[in-house]
Amino acid sequence: MSRLPETSNSLLLKVRDPANVDAWREFAAIYRPAVYRLARRQGLQDADAEDLAQRVLVSVADALQTWEKDDNRGTFRAWLLRIARNAIINALTRRPPDAALGGTGVTDQLAAEQATGSPIRDLIEDEHRRAVFRWAAAAVRADLHESTWMAFQLTAVEGRSIEEAAAETGKSIGSVYAARSRVMRRLRAKVMEWEA
Amino acid sequence: MTTKDPQSGCNQRLLRGYLEELLSAQQQVQVEQHLCRCQACRTAISDSAADRQWWGNARDYLRGDDWDDDNRTGFSNPDVNRAPFDAIDQHDGSEEDNGAGWPSAVAPSQLVDWLDPTDDPRMLGRFGGYEIVGLIGQGGMGIVLKGFEPALNRYVAIKVLSPLLASSGAARKRFAREAKATAAVLHDNVIPIHRVDESNDLPFLVMPYVPGDSLQKRLDAEGSLDLVAILRIGEQVAAGLAAAHSHGLVHRDIKPANILMERGVERVRLTDFGLARAADDGSLTRTGVIAGTPQYMSPEQARGEAIDARSDLFSLGSVLYTMSTGRLPFRAETPYGILLRIIESRPRPMRELAPALPAWWETLVARLHEKRPEDRLASAAEVAEVLRGCLAHVEQPTAAPLPDVCRVDPRSGSAPRFPAWTRPARYQRAFLALGLLLALAVPAAWIIRWATGQPPTEAVELPPVNSPPALAKKGAKETAGEPKPEASPWDGPATELTRLLEDGSEFESRAHLLWDPPSLTDTTPAISPPPVTPEKEPAR
Repeated sequence: MSRLPETSNSLLLKVRDPANVDAWREFAAIYRPAVYRLARRQGLQDADAEDLAQRVLVSVADALQTWEKDDNRGTFRAWLLRIARNAIINALTRRPPDAALGGTGVTDQLAAEQATGSPIRDLIEDEHRRAVFRWAAAAVRADLHESTWMAFQLTAVEGRSIEEAAAETGKSIGSVYAARSRVMRRLRAKVMEWEA
Repeated sequence: MTTKDPQSGCNQRLLRGYLEELLSAQQQVQVEQHLCRCQACRTAISDSAADRQWWGNARDYLRGDDWDDDNRTGFSNPDVNRAPFDAIDQHDGSEEDNGAGWPSAVAPSQLVDWLDPTDDPRMLGRFGGYEIVGLIGQGGMGIVLKGFEPALNRYVAIKVLSPLLASSGAARKRFAREAKATAAVLHDNVIPIHRVDESNDLPFLVMPYVPGDSLQKRLDAEGSLDLVAILRIGEQVAAGLAAAHSHGLVHRDIKPANILMERGVERVRLTDFGLARAADDGSLTRTGVIAGTPQYMSPEQARGEAIDARSDLFSLGSVLYTMSTGRLPFRAETPYGILLRIIESRPRPMRELAPALPAWWETLVARLHEKRPEDRLASAAEVAEVLRGCLAHVEQPTAAPLPDVCRVDPRSGSAPRFPAWTRPARYQRAFLALGLLLALAVPAAWIIRWATGQPPTEAVELPPVNSPPALAKKGAKETAGEPKPEASPWDGPATELTRLLEDGSEFESRAHLLWDPPSLTDTTPAISPPPVTPEKEPAR
């Protein structure tokens, strides 16, 4: 089970401030895809998944307001997980009966999980961490030469050989090794920045 | 660094320095050359960058798979962080898309502060005597809540004037007029108003809660519709419009998102007269603010001219076109471009996009898309009647002849020619610029007021209630001077406008907000299941 990064407190402070749109965008950029993918993995169609992601964001945004007021509530991470999980399960189980879910028994399954708790929670954590990685990757990529990024993308993500990557990017073998490690380091730093 | 002894060049400090990006260009080359030969250092630099688990996570998480949303959230998409309101007309027909940005999300949370407490743990709170179940959406003027009315055991949609606006006299006035105007229209195809009132100093109106989707959602899901469905929907929209027009009310914002489809029944209801106003109410229209969604605007709206009921007919034509082809009739990269097209160009013939459509349908929609109001069909009632006739013809081609207006011009065999009234394009651009000037000036005043924390003024017509303050502040900075409360739109920053027109991106992001403040969802009760009830648990 992958670990859900602790959400940056400073960022959340910013999110709670309605004036800071950028912070909200960043927040939404991470959470929205996570919920979307989660919904798709549960068998929802694209439009329904979009819809659900939006509704989950609504409830999280509402809930963010109340979070600060009570300090004895454990970590924000745990709290957010609970919010997100309940919001997702609520949204999925309250779908009208005639709506196509794209799979049978999803509702029952979710209802069961609401009681027992665990697999969907793992899914949520997994998708959240994935979203953080992708957010970080997009940020890192934007700051780098495309060839530097590609040295990483081709070898570390797509599993191509160093030689292939070197040929494709026009770099030397050594330069591919160097570049991909540099990207990895930046990526890790960016993810940890979110976790901090 | 010799080929004989690769280890001799190993230098952990240089490797770390490389990762930390502290090396000179020459040193970097040195490291890269060394890595061409030294396996140990290849491993060392990889391990130094991140441990095995990180590399594994990067591989697993960054790789695309079947669950990715190709359009927006896919990792390969460099626009992953882009908020949808940065780009209007991002994809066809879905300007309501809220995507990842959804900057207004934080505003509704303030809403909880002015709800009264409730005993029912499943509810958010109470407002105006209703138990509040959740938030339906946000529109230009306010917030839409889903409420439960225990006495009548029914769900309602409650549209509350945004607290930000409730302090403004103009906004209150307009909200009241909207409510009054809509309440006067009793028609099957118009969402009725149950009640107009105030609670905690916030004006609100109550409508029935209608489960179902907006036409926009249906178009998003299905693309184009078949002709029978189009005719049924079009006929009902026209009928609803006719009822509103007979009360002197111009909707001004006919678009798929404001057309609500009841679930299970073939009934269509017009909603959100948020931008509607009594056509004879000159006092507030004089400010000339362009209100409405650019894509479905009429040419006279685009030019910022006075409009009447026939403007809605043009918009209806655009809705019919979109339903028929799955594409917007007037498309461009920027709002300015869209307006220009609305004013200057004819849409691409529908049958090029959907060859199965009959020629008479092309003819009919073109009659609604006439640039001059007097060339269009005369009234919404007539349009409704014609569409009814068309429907009868489509369902029983032998028994019911086509209405006369649908007769295809025998010479051209297609839609009638575009009338030769067209002014030189140069003038039209000037008109358009005027319209834009009007459109920008007043909301700009608003933004400034809002950003500086001052109450909005009477001159304000289209408050960007959800506009992200970051943008608002930017706008304040860039807009010249402090508009006086009664500032005429002509006092607006013309040079600023020129610059904005040249700088598409900036203009786009701002103009979109002005015209079409981002909403959470449709501003009408369009979501079938109630919104997720916010988590109460953690509050304990």
